[in-house]
Amino acid sequence: MSERDSNTGDAHDVTPYAPGAGTVRVDDSGGGIVGNEFAEVGVAVDHSGNGPRLRLEDYRTGRVRNLDALELETIIWLPEERLTQLLDPSTTRWREEPDR
Amino acid sequence: MTAVTDSPLTLRQVEEFLYREARYADEHDYDAWEALWTDDALYWVPAGDATSDPATSMSIIHDNRNRISTRLNQLRTGKRYSQSPPSNLRRILSNIEILGVAGGDTEVGANFVLVESTSRGMETWAGRTTYRLRVVDGEVRLAYKKVLLVNRDQPIRTMAFLI
Amino acid sequence: MTTTVPDSARATSRPDYAALIEPSRVHGSLYTDPRVFADELERIWYRSWVFVGHESEVPESGDYVRKSIGPQDIIMTRGRDGDVHLVFNRCAHRGNLVCEDARGNANAFRCPYHGWTYRNTGELLGYPYNKGYGGKGNLDLSLGRVPRVDSYRGFVFASLAEDGPTLAEHLGAAAGEIDRLARLSPEGRIDLGAGWLQHRTRANWKLLAENETDGYHPQFVHSSIFSVTGSPIGPLYSDNSTAVTRDLGNGHSENDLRPEFRRHGETLRWFGTSESRVPNYVARMREAYGEAAEDILVEGAPHVMIFPNLFIAEIQVFVIQPLSVDECVQHSTAVQLGGAEELNSRMVSQSIGSVGPAGMLLADDTEMYERNQRGLEMRQPEWLDIRRGMHREALDEDGYRTGAATDETGIRGFWTHYRRLMEVDT
Repeated sequence: MSERDSNTGDAHDVTPYAPGAGTVRVDDSGGGIVGNEFAEVGVAVDHSGNGPRLRLEDYRTGRVRNLDALELETIIWLPEERLTQLLDPSTTRWREEPDR
Repeated sequence: MTAVTDSPLTLRQVEEFLYREARYADEHDYDAWEALWTDDALYWVPAGDATSDPATSMSIIHDNRNRISTRLNQLRTGKRYSQSPPSNLRRILSNIEILGVAGGDTEVGANFVLVESTSRGMETWAGRTTYRLRVVDGEVRLAYKKVLLVNRDQPIRTMAFLI
Repeated sequence: MTTTVPDSARATSRPDYAALIEPSRVHGSLYTDPRVFADELERIWYRSWVFVGHESEVPESGDYVRKSIGPQDIIMTRGRDGDVHLVFNRCAHRGNLVCEDARGNANAFRCPYHGWTYRNTGELLGYPYNKGYGGKGNLDLSLGRVPRVDSYRGFVFASLAEDGPTLAEHLGAAAGEIDRLARLSPEGRIDLGAGWLQHRTRANWKLLAENETDGYHPQFVHSSIFSVTGSPIGPLYSDNSTAVTRDLGNGHSENDLRPEFRRHGETLRWFGTSESRVPNYVARMREAYGEAAEDILVEGAPHVMIFPNLFIAEIQVFVIQPLSVDECVQHSTAVQLGGAEELNSRMVSQSIGSVGPAGMLLADDTEMYERNQRGLEMRQPEWLDIRRGMHREALDEDGYRTGAATDETGIRGFWTHYRRLMEVDT
């Protein structure tokens, strides 16, 4: 039964979230979408430069940020409380001061 | 899946079959309904996440041919209390489309609205059904029926009739 | 206008539970009176230990699932600390639901109304445009936290009371039944991650709780499926059965089927299969438990109702969620055992066949609950009789009251504990 399902698929029942063509390069590195009910971010390793970098796209606003290896390593080492501070909405997007 | 035009069945033939299947279910004609199924039948009503694997996740119904028989035999005893007396049922099928052909089976999609009346009151059921139809010895038969209830992620009332 | 209701008047407005609950009968209004339900929420559901979910439902850090304590919407989360946390799904700002999805992975929740952001343990991390609050970190607010959370073999329980009996004290002998279930896994591990069916039921929750270890009904309610499948379950619940019904104390009860399975002495008979069908499982069990494996494989899984809402029915787990005096939801899933792959797919398949809105067993139980609820609206004879087997029950060697397979010993145990909780003054 399940074999049948996997052979023929249930393509009509499920429409996976699909970003616009060319928005994200999904490659062998396992790029894809990291989404939950609070945010939806496209993740892909981008090879268009001289070396690879992580391309992140906020699907709700279209804002993109590229992170290189050292930046990623830094995030891994970020103390928990620093990450927590960044999650405070008024630290980043929703603050009275204009962006610099 | 190949092009729709490869289907051995016309849309009219498909409609006639689906309406007949619906009528048998509405009217609790268990013998006629059972005779529609192929031996490799699958009658599936997923719960919650429709993409989950029925071998490892709970479904509302996941009957192979054997279990379809068991289900109908239980109903035939007349002591399946959740269907004794049987619900009064009428369903409307619409948006019927031939979706393609897979392994010789014609895959069909349709929407339905079903009204159930019991002594507890009226209950409305609705959803999307995917059928796989196969021509066996010149007869249209049902190999697969998957019913995605619109409220499959919510608590639902007893559904002991044929959906 | 302020009107003070005198304490005496308030007291007399409550139902008199001592008068409504007698050893051999209980009053019908306990199932139909909204005042009783309101009392139950305060005295049982928001005070006693209540089963919420299983740790296996949130295996990874950041995982969350929406669960319930009666009508309360609770989020069960796995924090970065690795612990399971329970928080109320209600923003501390204006009371909006913080989570809408049934499950997901998030270390932080952001309320969609005004963007208040919380750690998945409840701590308020911030709010947009903080000058309106004089800067950041100025609010001493958080998601509501369940005061007491504890777990036993991964089964997570909550108590909304700051203090009271411990979970171990509440579970008492019922903990041993959970042990029995875990022992069926060669790794001693239970997994409840197969997803829950949700069955809406127009009946008072107590009808369900009482029915779970009522060995008197199967031959009637389930005769249709027993006759069609030739199931050996029916004879377990007859006057010829050597199975017993046991009051485990604290409202818990069981149908102990082990005497019947020991009498037959066949491994896996309790699961309706034989060793040749699941050879790897049997081998792993013998490897893990040695000689003890024989008894485990013969005796099978428990059939135990853990007050007020957790029912382990051999290979299924049910959770009873009351919504109002005459409405509840039954949540049901298949037990999955660590290291028992051969058994697990069979348990899912059997459970799908048996439980939930279309289940060949549970649809009929639920039909009875709903007819029962309507019957109880009739004015006469007012009482429900629960005396079956009173004359023949006895204390077993461990001091637990034990009756025959079809006796209402478990139901009486339920009401003894219920009355104790309901009579307490708040």
